[in-house]
Amino acid sequence: MNTKKQKFPFGIPDHNLTEVEREIPVGEPDAWPVNDQLKHVGKPVKRYDAKAKVTGKAKYTADMRLPGMLYAKFLRSTVPAARIKSIDTSAAESYPGVYAVHVIENLATGAREKENESNRFPEIKFTGQPIAGLAAESLDIAEEAARLIKVEYEYQPFVIDVEEAMKPEAPLVFSAPVEQKADAGDVGVTHEGDRGQGNVRGPSTSSFFGGPRGDLEKGFAEADVIVEHTYRTQVHTHVPLETHGVVVDWKPDGMLVYTSTQNTKAVRDEMADYFDLPRSKVRVICEFMGGGFGAKHSAGNFGPMAAILSRKTGRPVWLMLDRKEEHISQGNRPNSIHYLKIGAKKNGKLTAIQQRSHGTAGVALGAGVGRVAQILYECPNFATEQYDVFTHAGPGAAWRAPGNVQGAYGVEQAIDELAEKINMDPLALRDIIDTSEVRKVERQRGAEKFGWSRRKPAGSDPGPVKKGLGVAQSTWPRFIEFDSTAEVRILRDGAVEIRSGVQDIGTGTKTVLAQVVAEELGIRPEEVTVRIGDTVFPNGPSSGGSKVTGSITPAARNAAYKAKMELFEQVAGKWETDPSLLKTQDGQIIHKEDPLKKMSFNDALKGMRTGAIYASASRSDDYGGFQQPWGLAYGDLGSVQFAEVTVDTETGFVKVDKIVAAHSCGRPINTAHVRSQINGGVIQGVAYALYEYRSMDKETGHMMNANLDQYKLPYAMEIPEIESIIVEDYAGRSSTDAYGIGEPANIATAVAVANAVYNAIGVRIYEIPITPDKVLNALNKI
Amino acid sequence: MKEKKQSEKLTVLPEESKSGKKGLSRRGFLKGAGVTTAGTVMLQTGLLGHARADVKEDTLLGPDAILVKLKVNGRSRTVQVEPRATLAQVLRDHLELTGTKIVCDRGSCSACTVWLDGKPVNSCMTLAMDVGDRDITTIEGISNQEGLHPVQQAFIDHDATQCGYCTPGMIMTSVHLLNENKNPTLEDVKVALRGNLCRCGTQPHIFKAVLDASKKM
Amino acid sequence: MNKFSWYEAKSVEDALGKVNATVSDILAKNGYKSSSVFKAGGVDLLDLMKEGLVNPGTIIDIRNIPGLNKIDSDNKSGLRIGANVTLAEMESNITIKNHYIALHQAVALAGTPQIRNSATLGGNLAQRTRCWYFRSIDHQCYRKGSGTCFAQEGENEFHAIIHNQPCASVHSSSVATALMAFDAQVEIISSEGKKRTLSMEDFFVHPSKDSRTENVLNANEMITAVILPAVNEQIRSYYIKQGARESHDWAMADVAVVMELSGNRCKKAAIVLGAAAPVPIKARDAANSLIGKELNESIAASAGETAMKDATPLAKNGYKVPVFKAIIKRAILKTV
Repeated sequence: MNTKKQKFPFGIPDHNLTEVEREIPVGEPDAWPVNDQLKHVGKPVKRYDAKAKVTGKAKYTADMRLPGMLYAKFLRSTVPAARIKSIDTSAAESYPGVYAVHVIENLATGAREKENESNRFPEIKFTGQPIAGLAAESLDIAEEAARLIKVEYEYQPFVIDVEEAMKPEAPLVFSAPVEQKADAGDVGVTHEGDRGQGNVRGPSTSSFFGGPRGDLEKGFAEADVIVEHTYRTQVHTHVPLETHGVVVDWKPDGMLVYTSTQNTKAVRDEMADYFDLPRSKVRVICEFMGGGFGAKHSAGNFGPMAAILSRKTGRPVWLMLDRKEEHISQGNRPNSIHYLKIGAKKNGKLTAIQQRSHGTAGVALGAGVGRVAQILYECPNFATEQYDVFTHAGPGAAWRAPGNVQGAYGVEQAIDELAEKINMDPLALRDIIDTSEVRKVERQRGAEKFGWSRRKPAGSDPGPVKKGLGVAQSTWPRFIEFDSTAEVRILRDGAVEIRSGVQDIGTGTKTVLAQVVAEELGIRPEEVTVRIGDTVFPNGPSSGGSKVTGSITPAARNAAYKAKMELFEQVAGKWETDPSLLKTQDGQIIHKEDPLKKMSFNDALKGMRTGAIYASASRSDDYGGFQQPWGLAYGDLGSVQFAEVTVDTETGFVKVDKIVAAHSCGRPINTAHVRSQINGGVIQGVAYALYEYRSMDKETGHMMNANLDQYKLPYAMEIPEIESIIVEDYAGRSSTDAYGIGEPANIATAVAVANAVYNAIGVRIYEIPITPDKVLNALNKI
Repeated sequence: MKEKKQSEKLTVLPEESKSGKKGLSRRGFLKGAGVTTAGTVMLQTGLLGHARADVKEDTLLGPDAILVKLKVNGRSRTVQVEPRATLAQVLRDHLELTGTKIVCDRGSCSACTVWLDGKPVNSCMTLAMDVGDRDITTIEGISNQEGLHPVQQAFIDHDATQCGYCTPGMIMTSVHLLNENKNPTLEDVKVALRGNLCRCGTQPHIFKAVLDASKKM
Repeated sequence: MNKFSWYEAKSVEDALGKVNATVSDILAKNGYKSSSVFKAGGVDLLDLMKEGLVNPGTIIDIRNIPGLNKIDSDNKSGLRIGANVTLAEMESNITIKNHYIALHQAVALAGTPQIRNSATLGGNLAQRTRCWYFRSIDHQCYRKGSGTCFAQEGENEFHAIIHNQPCASVHSSSVATALMAFDAQVEIISSEGKKRTLSMEDFFVHPSKDSRTENVLNANEMITAVILPAVNEQIRSYYIKQGARESHDWAMADVAVVMELSGNRCKKAAIVLGAAAPVPIKARDAANSLIGKELNESIAASAGETAMKDATPLAKNGYKVPVFKAIIKRAILKTV
């Protein structure tokens, strides 16, 4: 391949910024300077689709109304464990207004026993498991008719509590080895469905960063201090405001699927595979979606059900879940019972980390505590055993930084405790054990903005209401998805379009694409039309792993560059010069050596021989290679977050007053959107730390707070003051050198809050959410 | 700020077989007041669910669909719905006003906030029959035809949307606050918005947007 | 929700002539086509209907009945709040804000601003408990006619710590907590024209006496007003609500205190606990312990201890005891 040498900015501005030279393909654009010198990239450009959202014009899947559309509803199990002996749908089928009924014979999601089950119907393994679906004229009729379906259950024993489920005598969720199709959202979680005993499966002992290191026994022997505890985190659900669902219109010439998704191509592929259709016959559209947070990477059971009903009736079918169904069946973050033992020397250097975790993802696999213990800090001796425990509850799903939020809760509290044991400031300890340069800068800048020096010894605040300050860090890999393609079109009338199947889940992907294309073409972002979220366009990355920006923006820039060069070919011909001597600036094409040779962009396009220029580009290899060839880039999206809390020691109530979050995402493309993402991750972290949890009744196997009334989320008065610090971190790895922020924003918050609570009251809380009972218990007030 | 259309734009209802609409039943509607021709819709006030003074005593409406007249964003609209239809369902399914979102359907999250006579209510917990002649304002009616309300513009300027699903409810509540309080503090803004849920974390930017908009109103 | 007929009541008599069931009756008997039940704001009714717990054949809309939505105040005879007055109207009422402070505070924290624009005082008092076993269509709990209270051994972090046998639900009206502290009375009229005026304590019913309902309303009765006695300058009141969050929530623990003070010295006191028991309850011993005393931190704290001395918490709600102690103490001190 022909390459050219380019000098890229390298490092952190106002800290260690320098240059690095890379060999890059000749067909890719030249290196961008730092953001200061760019026109649109790195600026808080207004969100592309904000106007549609603020006027109520944005159409979400739930809003779709197609001619002839029917409404569908599931019938779900009201018991946690049963064999179905018979299902009688006759009353439902003949109910006025009902057009089709379908009984599920194969579940599309969750773990599945490898041996064939003899029973005709899937065995019920959790309350809320779908049994059948029907389509009717209205949702009311569908609900009424669903109640008329008669199911004969043969009840089976069940287990809800994780620790009960771990016992050898516990009722088994699966009596055979299981397999689970990997959910595209899962990253680094336990999937060892074959191994284990009873409901316990695993352990998983390695990640893509490798397996155990060194010798634990030797490491602990060398330690001067040891911190050893078990940390517990809760199961919580995603609660996207728009629930899961689809509108499917299956006509003879193809299937059209509107869906609220983070992954248009996975939905397309799943639906095509399920029904044995060529992928070209399935079109998936997601222009707006109301939140996913990891749970929406699949067509689930609702996609196939709606399609089957659409085929049976010949009409479009709307199937959106209600809030209760959303809570009990569409995913959750598994809990963790997380044993951690960390050894260190008096000077702070870590000598050994031992980790063992159990967690339940209900009837699925995917509980784990991530890679924080493995890679956040330097430590020669390390081992982890991460186990899944099946219980009769709704399947887990990837939840913003799966596993790593749970893991950070343990690790960052242990490190905080360690610092105190060796009489070292927690930030100073990290300076010793953390090799990340960007986190060092984040610590410095964050500490200053936050006023870390205000911190007093733990529990020293007088009076019943005590203030506390805490800090925690996170690490997150830079994932790249190669199947990320963008097509840029420059039309004769001057219109510029970018197209990709990638979806915007509220993160601002549309804006970022407009900015990148505008920067490359020398026009304004408002002049770019962004068409995404449709699988007729080239495949885009899925919105998971925080990899969209890093995967699609280089492709977008490269496609724009290609289109531009084609345009230059045309203009250069006219000026009898070389395309390499042309540049774009403020909507003009200018000759680099003769500034008087100018042509407006629009004029240049009018002279085109073809109606439009089309260029597409896929995500190419990182300059200088990858950390791992499947798409693990060098670098880290780590963060440092500081929390200020108030703890009322008489009532046990904790309030988060302020968070300072220092983050890096390589080259930030839209600083407003980055701050929005940080705010989102932080607020979810506060919710996880203090308020929300799934309440399962152990006697009956039901989720008792499957609504928004008793499922506690923060509202306006719980929102802390949040200050975000964006640290630019250049590495010259791609044509945009830009990365994501979604998951990093969510990892450190809860444990920063926990560390702050410790600083306030002088007693550590090893279990979240930190509800009043836990604080009062810790203070021996109950 | 918004113009009120003086003319009554009456929706003549289609035949029963129009799909996608709630269960229609010719027998069911127009109960209790004489209607001569089944195919025509006569909008005498006596037939309408809301006009209390005119409805005869002992008139039981429903349970099948009946005509309900609603004033939405300054226009008079007529729908044929069952008494059990909530205002949120009617706006979304019968009037093509899908800006109002249903999220919890229980009055816990305020995503479905609309105004009745200028006061924010949860449309998912309001029966369409119960609205009467109160003016309904939805997100689609919050600005004049051409421009944006200062609050809407401020939401754009301060990046106060992410997925956008909570946005209509947030804006309805925010505009109401500024109509009542020209100079709110941050605390006032939080108190006004304390019933509106956002899961993406737009609240900090919303607070800034509302405070900024208050200076421009 | 099930299909129902709608009737617009023109007057109290008209409404009482049509009604034949309370919400509790429908739930207990599962009557359908034949049952006619009132709807005022509809906030609680719609929730119960959407959960499938209640399915009336006819809804009698009483929201627009003239004469039920006024707040009348008179220095001599006190305050009369019509049953159809919305919580929002109560919140903005100047008399309540200035003279019945605990009531104002309780109302301002009830539900959300949106709910308060719809919810009425009558409906708020008559609401069913928010116990999540009760609200679950899949759990046949004690209040729904079975012998089982799931909360006893189950997820009971939000449930009652006092008088929690045989049912551990808590009453969910924070407004009731404040009203009881003011010794408010509930005015009820029946279809025969009979009026009765009950104290809040007589209005509410403990599940051990009648598990089907939280109050004594008969099927042919309607709340018309709530009456509060007149207050003088020596009356001080305060209300504190602790929910899981501050923005809006059901109470985990709430307290209303109404005191008559001369300087710091307490002449009369009422302390009412909400979310402690299946009905709002007066902490009489605690209140009596304040009479004649100069209120200070230690006396207030001691009253909190006294109020909790008979608490019998369940496995997960023991934390409510110190919370109540703290908020009782603080509410008392706020009146000084």
